[in-house]
Amino acid sequence: MGRDGYIKKIETAARQWEEQVLGPRIKRFNLAESPTRFYSPLNVRNSDFLEKVGFPGEYPYTAGNSPFDFWKAFAADAAKTGYRPDWGGAGKVGKYGGFGTASDYRDYLLRMQSMGRKGGPNIAFDLATQCGYDSDSPYAEGEVGRVGVAIDSFRDFQVIYEAYTGDLDIDKVPSNYTINAPAAVIIAMYATLAKKRGIAIDRLQGTPQNDILKEFIARGTYIYPPRPSIRLFRDICVFCTHYLPRLNINSIGGYHIREAGATHIQDLAFSFANGIAYIEAGLAGGLDIDAFAPRITFNAFGGSMEMYKEIALQRAARRIWARILKERFGARDPRSMMIRQPITAHIGCSSTTLQRPLNNLARAVIGGIAAGMSGGIPGAFPPFDEPLGLGHSQEATQLQIDATRIMIYEAKVADVNDPWAGSYFMESLTDETEEAALAEMEKIENMGGAVAAIENGYMPRCVAKSAYEKQKLVEQLKEFIVGVNCFTSDNEIEVSVNRIVEATYDPERMKTAEDRQKKSLARLKRERNGTAVSTALKTLCVHARDDSYNLMPDIIECVENEATLQEISDVLRQVFGEAQPIKL
Amino acid sequence: MNENRKIRVLISKPGLDGHERGAMVVAYGLRDEGFEVIYTGLRQTPEQIVNAAIQEDVDVLGLSILSGAHLGLTRKVIDGLGAQQADDILVLLGGIIPEEDIPALKEMGVDEIFTAGTPIKDISDFIRSHLPRSPEQEPVIEKP
Repeated sequence: MGRDGYIKKIETAARQWEEQVLGPRIKRFNLAESPTRFYSPLNVRNSDFLEKVGFPGEYPYTAGNSPFDFWKAFAADAAKTGYRPDWGGAGKVGKYGGFGTASDYRDYLLRMQSMGRKGGPNIAFDLATQCGYDSDSPYAEGEVGRVGVAIDSFRDFQVIYEAYTGDLDIDKVPSNYTINAPAAVIIAMYATLAKKRGIAIDRLQGTPQNDILKEFIARGTYIYPPRPSIRLFRDICVFCTHYLPRLNINSIGGYHIREAGATHIQDLAFSFANGIAYIEAGLAGGLDIDAFAPRITFNAFGGSMEMYKEIALQRAARRIWARILKERFGARDPRSMMIRQPITAHIGCSSTTLQRPLNNLARAVIGGIAAGMSGGIPGAFPPFDEPLGLGHSQEATQLQIDATRIMIYEAKVADVNDPWAGSYFMESLTDETEEAALAEMEKIENMGGAVAAIENGYMPRCVAKSAYEKQKLVEQLKEFIVGVNCFTSDNEIEVSVNRIVEATYDPERMKTAEDRQKKSLARLKRERNGTAVSTALKTLCVHARDDSYNLMPDIIECVENEATLQEISDVLRQVFGEAQPIKL
Repeated sequence: MNENRKIRVLISKPGLDGHERGAMVVAYGLRDEGFEVIYTGLRQTPEQIVNAAIQEDVDVLGLSILSGAHLGLTRKVIDGLGAQQADDILVLLGGIIPEEDIPALKEMGVDEIFTAGTPIKDISDFIRSHLPRSPEQEPVIEKP
């Protein structure tokens, strides 16, 4: 029997099943439609394995970026040696953090290192720094050193790195910076630090987030309007490609867009639209696609409890991006076509609930299973006490790490590559996800691309509306969240566990951080060579007005002369203007 | 208060915190609940918020803060409203607010704190049951 005959036979069987089995049951329970779905070969009629899935590590990477991830090679050793991923290791990325002044954070890092936690700096900056304000700005009042460390000038940057010398010097450990609008300034500080230490800047490794477009769609720490922001991106991209070839150029955040309320389709479409804008900026800067595309990275796609959709999303994401890079941009290097992301599928912090918070552990495990089944480390994220807003406790962190280990070692979740390959259901859902994302991307393309779709408010408004739609579904009991809008009667009990939140910093020190930071900033302004600062800023200003200039050398000049982050940002504000908040 | 006048709500994001999902969802939700809602957008200083509340002649001010800077920022907004004799405005706070800060915030003059998972209906019920705050003192405002 040929393929056609086989399909015909299934079609007949499907009709019979619907009429004789499914239909009567729907009727019996008086439903309008079936509450479940079933997939058969009829749902994947045109599925060509090599074209749509392929082997792991081969185009279009649906089955994964590689035959096995690096961590799988060391999984058994990690178990035998008791490796703790949250501690980081020499040569690895350390735990995300930052608070207070640079010296507060340096002392914390030194304390962590004395306990064996030796990862490279993974710096959270305070909101003033992220928005291009110095600690003495009225906008910074109450924010200095709060959600990250305060960086006003190269002096502060240098103080943090006093914790990274010898075996942990900057040519040996990578640095990660959650910085977007002022990314050029922070990269300039990194390069300046290398020069001062006599380290060739081409030895520097790490990842600046540098994903400014998503700041307009989610997260909100933009400074300049989208177009000049892309010009700055172009300058960073070109400069890093030439001089800091080991530094990743950026980390595109699908995750943030989802957390802000986007659907999984919007997450894919908007992130890729942004990604395309970055690629085009690099090309406009005269770079060859394969010279920089391998260093465009992604933060993470994902962020819901719907594990089937999240698995399909990861598969579709890899395929879409690979095809864009190969077919649209003519990439030849496989590394240009791959999505590199440190976290893959996960539930997203917005899936956690303040109500009965220990349930978040169960939720995070679902996200870990989705990750393990779609080419990632099966990581339980976040710790269950995430929504309590008091910092993760040691207990929650322990449970999170152990849950991850149980998925890896006991459940063996990640022992098979793309275990859903060939599933009628998953292949069909992957195709649907891909089609819907491509359709949404085409809409954005027709508007003129990501920048235009930010300027006209389309992407940010879509995300806000999706967030509201989701809220309505929850309130109308069309979507259920356990312990929030259902199963909340007096018959349910609160389960609590002991929680010790590690004292990462001295609260007394935090109280004085703003004051101390302002004083050291005042001292800097007295001590530095004012003429050199204003000359460097003036040159930056002149060159900023001319789009053909790459501003990185000028920004480095400003940083070296101890111009502050806000002074540099203010020059660019003056030339580029400021982005306006999104209205409803 | 004029019976025909819709209750006016200003939703605002004080400080530099860029998480605006909650603020926008509440703004859309209260609008659908029949309130007149104005959203300031991100990065408003306490002074800007107080001025907007007065200029827009709002009955309710909703602040959304997820950065941990809620104590200082809320204090400034409430002091600002007081200085302008606008302390009849109902002040609501949402975001990531640790349980132990709630008494201090109420003491300060926040009328209610709504944390994650709050249905919009709870917020609108709260507003309706607490307004008008002192009807005999409310001037009648005729809108053209």
